[in-house]
Amino acid sequence: MRDLIDIWVGIQNWIFETVVSPLLFRFGLMEWFEPAFNAVEIVMLGIVQIAIIALGMRFFEKRWPLEKTDNDDLVAVDRVYTVLNKLGIVQLVVFMVAYPITNEIEHLARSVGYAPPRLERILPLLHDSALASFLVYFVLYDFAAYWLHRAQHKFSWWWALHSLHHSQRQVTVWSDDRNHIVDNLLVTLALVIFAQFVGVQPDDYILILMIGRLIESWSHANVDMSYGRVGERLIVGPRFHRLHHALASADERHIQDHNFAPVFPIWDMLFGTANYDGKRRPTGVDDPIVDADNGRGWLVQQVTVFGRFLRALAPRFRRASIQPGLRPPAE
Amino acid sequence: MNRLAIGAVALALAGTGAARADSVLVLNSEEASYSILSRSQRVELQRLPIGREPHHLVATPDGKEVLVASTATNELLVLDAKTGEKRRVQRNIIDPYQVGFSPDGKWFVTAAYRLDHVDIYHADGFKLAGRIFIDGLPSHMAFDVESKTVFVSLQQTGRLVAFDLATQTIKWNVEVGKAPAGVLVLPDNKRLLVALTGEDGLVVVEPKNGDVIGNLRTGKAAHNFFPKGDGRHWFLSNRVEGTVSLVDTQDLKVVGTIKVPGGPDCMDITPDGKELWVTQRFLRRIAVVDLEQMRMVASIPVGKSPHGVFMLKSAAAAPGTGPVRAASTAGDQK
Repeated sequence: MRDLIDIWVGIQNWIFETVVSPLLFRFGLMEWFEPAFNAVEIVMLGIVQIAIIALGMRFFEKRWPLEKTDNDDLVAVDRVYTVLNKLGIVQLVVFMVAYPITNEIEHLARSVGYAPPRLERILPLLHDSALASFLVYFVLYDFAAYWLHRAQHKFSWWWALHSLHHSQRQVTVWSDDRNHIVDNLLVTLALVIFAQFVGVQPDDYILILMIGRLIESWSHANVDMSYGRVGERLIVGPRFHRLHHALASADERHIQDHNFAPVFPIWDMLFGTANYDGKRRPTGVDDPIVDADNGRGWLVQQVTVFGRFLRALAPRFRRASIQPGLRPPAE
Repeated sequence: MNRLAIGAVALALAGTGAARADSVLVLNSEEASYSILSRSQRVELQRLPIGREPHHLVATPDGKEVLVASTATNELLVLDAKTGEKRRVQRNIIDPYQVGFSPDGKWFVTAAYRLDHVDIYHADGFKLAGRIFIDGLPSHMAFDVESKTVFVSLQQTGRLVAFDLATQTIKWNVEVGKAPAGVLVLPDNKRLLVALTGEDGLVVVEPKNGDVIGNLRTGKAAHNFFPKGDGRHWFLSNRVEGTVSLVDTQDLKVVGTIKVPGGPDCMDITPDGKELWVTQRFLRRIAVVDLEQMRMVASIPVGKSPHGVFMLKSAAAAPGTGPVRAASTAGDQK
């Protein structure tokens, strides 16, 4: 294990010392020395994730596809999202906007004496097991992510953004990162603040993101697979999550209001949103305005969806023709 | 030594308190843990959880305890200076990034790096005497010999600030260079050395008014000082250069350079003065430098982003003995 760590850190250090650190030094940005080193690791982890998706998960999609993906153009844009996200380009933009905000909130909270509760004090056993501690924080983090996901569907302005994620008619392992950058920003802001207040360690946070996002990528896979009767109630799998992307029909207007959980289905079971019927359904959004996202490139999607978002926020921008796209499917 | 043998040694040593007589404590800042290593065997014995984002530490003036500053939890974890075992927690010390005691042991000062303030406490009971808010990432500190002033570097704004301990007010606040970090008050109390992490060396500063009166090139991203122990020579880590310079402070020249890769940062010296241990932040290791050979002879795996380092059972500086061992960082204020 230590050999692997040395190889990993050696590569990270080489990239940092060869490329990043001289730039920071040259441009007088040395106060970002430590965060920049961690950013290199995030990019490296992103490359690993892309490799796992492209070489591992895609194998299952090719071998046992649920739906025939006859239009690769629809999927191509999702690959762009994945690369931009996993290589840290989207995260960098999000970080630059989110950091001052989360920093101010943290300053304010800590200036008045607030310190994260640290579960180890409540559960001393967590002190003795790094794995147990990591799992507890992972579960808590997922709990927050579950409710954020519900909010994305609940509020029309947020649905205007999040509908981009659901508009894909050919959901694949590349679809998880298909999100509007403002949506990324809002979710990141909320989860970082949550992590700060709960007291998630920075190192755990990166690991949670890495593992969580891989599970979510897999849960979008174009395969009809689950982990069995017990397993699919422990971890979200493709069959479980695909139902959340199901196209609404006259009989099932609210089908997408199920299976919100990112990683642990327990939240859906606890809060009455789980659906394990296992039926196969087409995916997408039954709304021509939202469905029009398909066939557009990354930039056009970002611009048009931002327009949707603004119109949802400010009614005076609304036009009658785009009203349906502003409402969550639950309404 | 093969891995099995190392494991056996670690297991055997970890089981006995006596084994800790020659131990070293390392703070793994991004892992919320600290490592206890065997100095003689050069192996990690234990890794124990501690606070959140522990960066720096300091021995108490009586040398019996070590205070580990847990920045994100606003507390100091008090460890036994001989065994490294936890004793208690001192709460409500806000964002204690860098910490230090004045040479007379009366004042305890913290630099809140994230929250931009410097706190001055009465060391007896940790009662807050004054909090001074100041922008610019306050990072490192050093005290004058008379325990009247603490000098704090502001890494973001390139300034050095002198605070009067008794009145908790600013005496002066001057620009000294890019990203100043480690601060050192020389034993004659007439010169300050400030390491510039945004440049490639140090500047000499006049303690009375902050005037920059000299400079010395040591290596890119000069960062942190540690005393050799003779009152004349100090080590200085250069983080981008990947070296540690030995600086003759009397003649103001570099008399030796040791290659230490991986962003060398905090240091401590063995009681016999033969080895310098240097945290390699980026490599998750701590380097052992043989001071006779002036080269790195070992690099021991520890946790993520190792920062502060402390030799257990190190002799504490007797109150009032000046900065021979009380210098710029928490790690070297012993």
